[in-house]
Amino acid sequence: MDKILFKYCFQTRLRIIFILIIIVFFILLIKIFYLQVIEHNHYKTLSNKNSIKVIPLPPNRGIIFDRNNKILADNKLSFTLELNRKHKINFDTLAYRFKDIIEITDRDIKNYRERISKYYFFDSSPIKFNLTSIQIAKFISQKYKYPEFIIKQGFVRNYPLGKSSAHLIGYINRINISDIKNLKKNGLFSNYKGSTHIGKSGIEKYYEKKIHGISGYKKIEVDANQNLIRTIQTVPAISGENIYLTIDSRLQKIAEKEFNNRKGALVAIDPNNGEILAYVSQPTFDPSLFTNGISQENWLKLNNKVNRPLLDRVISGAYPPGSTLKPFVGLAALHNNVRVPPFSIIDPGFYTMSNGSKTFKDWKKGGHGNVDLIKAIAVSCDTFFYGLGVELGIPNINNTLDIFGFGKKTLIDIGNEKKGLLADKEWKKNKLGKNWYQGETAITAIGQGYTLVTPIQLAYATAKIANEKIDNTPHLRLNSNNNINKLKDDQSISTGIINSFSKKNIDLIKLGMQRVTETEGTAAFLGKTSKYKIAAKTGTAQVFGLKKDEVYDEKKLPDHLKDHALFIAYAPAENPKLAIAIIVENGGHGGSTAGPIAKKVFDTYLDKNYD
Amino acid sequence: MIRLFISKISNNLDTPLLSTIVVLVLIGVTVLASATQENFYLLGNQFFNIIIGVLALYFFANLQPRRILFYAPYFYVICLILLLLVSIIGIESHGAKRWIDLGLINFQPSELMKISLPLFIGSIYHYYQNNISIKAHTLSLIAILIPFLIILKQPDLGTAIMVGASGFIIIFLAGLHWKVISSSIFLFLLSVPFIWNTLYDYQQNRILSLLDPTKDPFGSGYHSIQSIIAIGSGGFFGKGWGNSSQSNLNFLPETTTDFIFSVFAEEFGFIGIVLIFLLYSFIFYRCFTLASRMQNTFSKLVAASLSFSLFVATFINIGMISGILPIVGIPLPFISYGGTSMVVSMASIGIIIGLYSNKSLIAN
Repeated sequence: MDKILFKYCFQTRLRIIFILIIIVFFILLIKIFYLQVIEHNHYKTLSNKNSIKVIPLPPNRGIIFDRNNKILADNKLSFTLELNRKHKINFDTLAYRFKDIIEITDRDIKNYRERISKYYFFDSSPIKFNLTSIQIAKFISQKYKYPEFIIKQGFVRNYPLGKSSAHLIGYINRINISDIKNLKKNGLFSNYKGSTHIGKSGIEKYYEKKIHGISGYKKIEVDANQNLIRTIQTVPAISGENIYLTIDSRLQKIAEKEFNNRKGALVAIDPNNGEILAYVSQPTFDPSLFTNGISQENWLKLNNKVNRPLLDRVISGAYPPGSTLKPFVGLAALHNNVRVPPFSIIDPGFYTMSNGSKTFKDWKKGGHGNVDLIKAIAVSCDTFFYGLGVELGIPNINNTLDIFGFGKKTLIDIGNEKKGLLADKEWKKNKLGKNWYQGETAITAIGQGYTLVTPIQLAYATAKIANEKIDNTPHLRLNSNNNINKLKDDQSISTGIINSFSKKNIDLIKLGMQRVTETEGTAAFLGKTSKYKIAAKTGTAQVFGLKKDEVYDEKKLPDHLKDHALFIAYAPAENPKLAIAIIVENGGHGGSTAGPIAKKVFDTYLDKNYD
Repeated sequence: MIRLFISKISNNLDTPLLSTIVVLVLIGVTVLASATQENFYLLGNQFFNIIIGVLALYFFANLQPRRILFYAPYFYVICLILLLLVSIIGIESHGAKRWIDLGLINFQPSELMKISLPLFIGSIYHYYQNNISIKAHTLSLIAILIPFLIILKQPDLGTAIMVGASGFIIIFLAGLHWKVISSSIFLFLLSVPFIWNTLYDYQQNRILSLLDPTKDPFGSGYHSIQSIIAIGSGGFFGKGWGNSSQSNLNFLPETTTDFIFSVFAEEFGFIGIVLIFLLYSFIFYRCFTLASRMQNTFSKLVAASLSFSLFVATFINIGMISGILPIVGIPLPFISYGGTSMVVSMASIGIIIGLYSNKSLIAN
């Protein structure tokens, strides 16, 4: 190739190269156009995600007060030692490495492992709680040696009353997988992004939405190593609402003390407005055991089959009502004109069915003599009620009990309420596959039978007798009024005792209940020492059925087979200010066991110097 | 006297080309100020680099082409010796031996090869200019392959490709027959699997991560992903100077050198990119025009090769940060931070200008 040919060839090929360069640039430009213009939003999001982090700010839980502004649950500043989960942790040497700073026991490690397997954690999870200032100071001075440890400052739920009122106040626990599922289902999860705890029972659970508050967040800019560069925006969390309860914790404490380690429940309710002043379930537990994820060991202890301390007996304990049902059955008889005064019987101490098929004994050998309805309530005459029941029939009995709220939820503002049971022919057929016997109607009338009631139902029914004008459901939150109008529509609760029964009939029943604490009544001893009049009804419920001709001997029976003692009352009888229902499990006779507890509560509450 | 000096400069120097380069360098400094978050130490360094670059440009622009032609083979041999020295006493950095420690600065002989190889190949063809035959092509091929393979072994794939390209483009421009070209390309494609096996793991990973950068987002794909995010988030108008969050928050690696264009793209958007492309296109257009106006074989080939070299660097850099090419460490001419790149680019332009303005000074 000579020079002229070279120049020509060079020129052509240089042009080819330049065209290639333009094509290549064009391809690059198209690619960049695609990234910057067409896919811009996508990469903008990625870039923001890269650099902007949203850190949730959990709200402080609302404080729970009693009606006198006494704190039942609040938050206490506390420091926890946490393990950074991004680090690989050698548990074998952990305690040894850290021994000079804070002692970490094998149990701590075991509990830690249990905790992280059950609950939901972000990037660190706690191993030691409630650090002292000395421990914190020691740790901070040597922090660089322990990169896997973090000290976190936060608020811990605090229950100043300890075990007292545990069922009522409830407890909180660390959020677990099923909590998250529920929160997601209800669209609440985003509000819990920074929260570690959630209400699990009692008021803590029922009012969780109010108590929890609204989560805030902090938008921060971070670099590639996740270091904070600057804070872009802070939306502070809104603390949860404080909840004021109708409870009077002084009354509550006195009632608890009077139980004296016996099992059972007590409900004290203001019959004028449905406010619950005392709410006792015994035995109880320490709610703070749960706050940091309850250990297996404690959990097993609390699930003790015999004592069942976790059971809220007030709303979830279903008991046979025993004779406390008699005033209500009596009212049913009056209402249905089955026992119109001055109807009376001569009680021989037993009742024989009209066809002679079966004989039922009265609790008193030899009977009570001449008995009318008022005396039948006062002396708790079984014979009178056997006949009354048989004549009245199950439908009439249940109709009246239904109006008093038995067999359905009272809709008190706390979870897990049981319905109790009003049994009838249909129920028995469906449930047991057997026919209903007339004799069962007779024992239903004295509160044995299949009927089951909860202490809250008994208390509320008693309040309704005490004040037939009561138009509030029982409630625990002060001034909540429990939306009585809404409930009327939704649940067709019959609030109107006054509409269903005549004042004359109710007054007769009230008179009967007053006689209970008078001379010949089953709780006469209460009336003797009382400055005010108490209307009451005692009850004894069999835990275990005696075989035919077997004699009940309290001394021979083991404790857990002894009868339950029941007691309902309101006082002062003329102007009721407090209605009470008490159940003492295996407490024997209602009047002598449960009566004094009620008396103490009344005395305290009605004392003029009380407030 | 001063007027004489200025007129001498302006006579010798090509104003359109130089003003375009001045604009690019200024853009580079501006982006660098943002990428370093106004780190005055680095900015000062870069000013020093630019001054050295300008001096190199001025020096070569005034160098007689005759001398360049004369010294080309010696220069080439010296570069080869330096390259071999690197593999013996070189400093290892990022797993590759590329640098020689000269006390004050670390020095990369492979960069020098970018200039000395075109000069040497140009001189070969100049020697055979009256009868460019297969002999000249073969000699050139050997002259290319020796430094190419040494640099590839360092390992520095990017520079090896650039050095190779600057040499091969001369063989192409010198009129190698199309048949030979096409059959070579065919042979090359056949040998791709073999070449693949000779690549280092990290080089293979880079190419693989190009195909799917999300496969290994924190490993070899990380740079690519972060760079693409930077470009894409810039949008049409950009985030504005100093607002590259990808760079300010350290998501982008090497923001001052290899990835400076990502920072530019994020801050100035597509508009800015188009401007940069126009500036580069004009530089290559101008260089090629100068080359085609030159009279002798040596000048033409060297000028075309040096400007093509600059194009290859530009293409590889922008191609890698926009995810078209694998990540190979090639700085962007005139814009990236770094002395070697700046001086080599400036010197290349200086040589082109010198060859053009002193075109009569070489005997045919």
